[in-house]
Amino acid sequence: MKRHTFFAAFFAVFLIAVSGASSAFAAETSSKPFAEKHVVLQISDEDPFKQTLVLNVANNLIKHYGPDKVDIEIVAFGPGLRLLFSDNANRGRIGDLSQQGVRFAACENTIANMSRILGEEPVLNDKAVRVSAGVVRILDLEADGYTLIRP
Amino acid sequence: MLKAKRLAGAMALALGMAAAGQVQAANWVMLQGTEADGMGERAKLWGFLQPTYRSTDGTVLPAGPWEGQPMQPNMIPTDLSSDSQFQLLRARIGVRGVAMPIDSKVNYFLLAEFGDNGITAGKGGAGVISDASVTLNHIPGARVRLGLFKTPMSEEIFQGVGTMDYVNFTAFTDQQLNERHLPTDGLAPCNAAADDAYLRYCEEGNTFSDFGAARDTGAMVFDAFRRGDWEHTYAVMLGNGSGVNAGNTDDNLDTRAYWSSEWIFGGQGPRREGWKLYAWMHDGKRTVLDSVQLAAGNRVENEYDYERSGVGTTYRRGKYRFFAEYNQAEGMIFNGTDGGAVAGSVNNAGTAVSTLNLLPEDKANGYYLDFGYKITPKVELDVRYDVLNRGTETDVEERKFETVTLGAQYFFNRKSRLIVNYEMRDLEAPNLPANAVPNQIGEAIDDRLSVQVFMVF
Repeated sequence: MKRHTFFAAFFAVFLIAVSGASSAFAAETSSKPFAEKHVVLQISDEDPFKQTLVLNVANNLIKHYGPDKVDIEIVAFGPGLRLLFSDNANRGRIGDLSQQGVRFAACENTIANMSRILGEEPVLNDKAVRVSAGVVRILDLEADGYTLIRP
Repeated sequence: MLKAKRLAGAMALALGMAAAGQVQAANWVMLQGTEADGMGERAKLWGFLQPTYRSTDGTVLPAGPWEGQPMQPNMIPTDLSSDSQFQLLRARIGVRGVAMPIDSKVNYFLLAEFGDNGITAGKGGAGVISDASVTLNHIPGARVRLGLFKTPMSEEIFQGVGTMDYVNFTAFTDQQLNERHLPTDGLAPCNAAADDAYLRYCEEGNTFSDFGAARDTGAMVFDAFRRGDWEHTYAVMLGNGSGVNAGNTDDNLDTRAYWSSEWIFGGQGPRREGWKLYAWMHDGKRTVLDSVQLAAGNRVENEYDYERSGVGTTYRRGKYRFFAEYNQAEGMIFNGTDGGAVAGSVNNAGTAVSTLNLLPEDKANGYYLDFGYKITPKVELDVRYDVLNRGTETDVEERKFETVTLGAQYFFNRKSRLIVNYEMRDLEAPNLPANAVPNQIGEAIDDRLSVQVFMVF
């Protein structure tokens, strides 16, 4: 019996630790308890116009529903990761959207690939949060009820 | 020494500003020299077309050795064969971007000209590379642009063609800033008795060997800095001083410096709203053959100062825009043609050929006031008043060009528009009697109608 209690406690601690480490967004997601819409926006294109477009879509969603009623995460991977470079010309808009609760996810796989090409790791916007894989992040969010939009 | 001090001062100022951070805002130095950080394309195809019609009354020379022949200012450039002409004034296509999109620090800019203008004149109709540069953005506050590109100077000629509100340049810009690199000073008359070697220079009327087009090959250090609503921009450049696609023709390098401060009201890109103040300078040397010596059979080169500078302001807000500039020139003053005739034409007596001329040690100045008002979102009315005082140090050579240009623009969309201009042109030799030949010729200068469609893609 004692052994069972020990394993149960150990398992519970393990689960808590794993869930906390694997999703840095978990707490932030719950910061919009009144959100009625949950949207994940994908940016994976090289075309710089898509960067503007994805930010416009996020902005329009906030304007329409109000910042408390819509929960938005922008997931950047592949060539689209440039949106989250620290010197990106849109960094001002990213800062504004972040203040309204929009989250930005940066794909670790893409960062690793770019680092290999560049010879150094690209410096990311301080609003970006790393996720292990952009596509996986999108699948997870969809599983949680988010609607995927790829402008 | 003075140049070195100026350069050092500008660099010190630049590096001082660098400590305060940089911005990627839109102005001509930045727009033409850089791609937006993190947003540059691998190869962005772009260009523009300007089909144009220009016409004058074609009044011929009323006096002088070429009396009765076509008058150079009343003919349509570049071939000057007609007083009314359709032409493709500019037709440019190019690519720009970042060769490696994940590294915004290295940008490039390539553009070729296929139109009918000074850049292509004498090039056999083939396309000419007008711009080819690489920009390195590695040093905060001191970006470096290398290659052939438009040089920071008078807003009128430095701005992108896409925002030019008139078909033709003001007289000062056309004559003193859009430099024609001539092989000789043109001071000695080209007559039939001259030495054969000199006649070779006369055959084409001293056609310019190279064309400036506000461009040069060299290296420029520049950047822009945002302070609240203000944006400050600097540029310092060393170049060959030889214009488009020409190597350094002597051992001298030209020095250029530019500064602007703009209070930004809003918007972005070429038609960003704001109030800008700017100043620029350009110092160099030019070496040309002494035409008097050449006519006597001796090949003697002379070196002269080439100095240009100016100050100006632009204001653009809502329906209104207002531009004003004052510019001055010292040395290598472009001085038109002999007798006002088309360069290369023989006089009535058959004894002389008209050539393009210089006043190598004289001065000139000029200014313009330019006002535009949008009466509807699609229609803008424009009026510009410009003055060129040429050869101000020599009484008999001094000429005053005064032009009022009335204009209208119809914007089909953001990428294309129609421009209609009517120029009322006056020319006088202020220090000569009213009945002197130059003043009689000046009386014959025609008004000019220009119609152009502009389209950028």
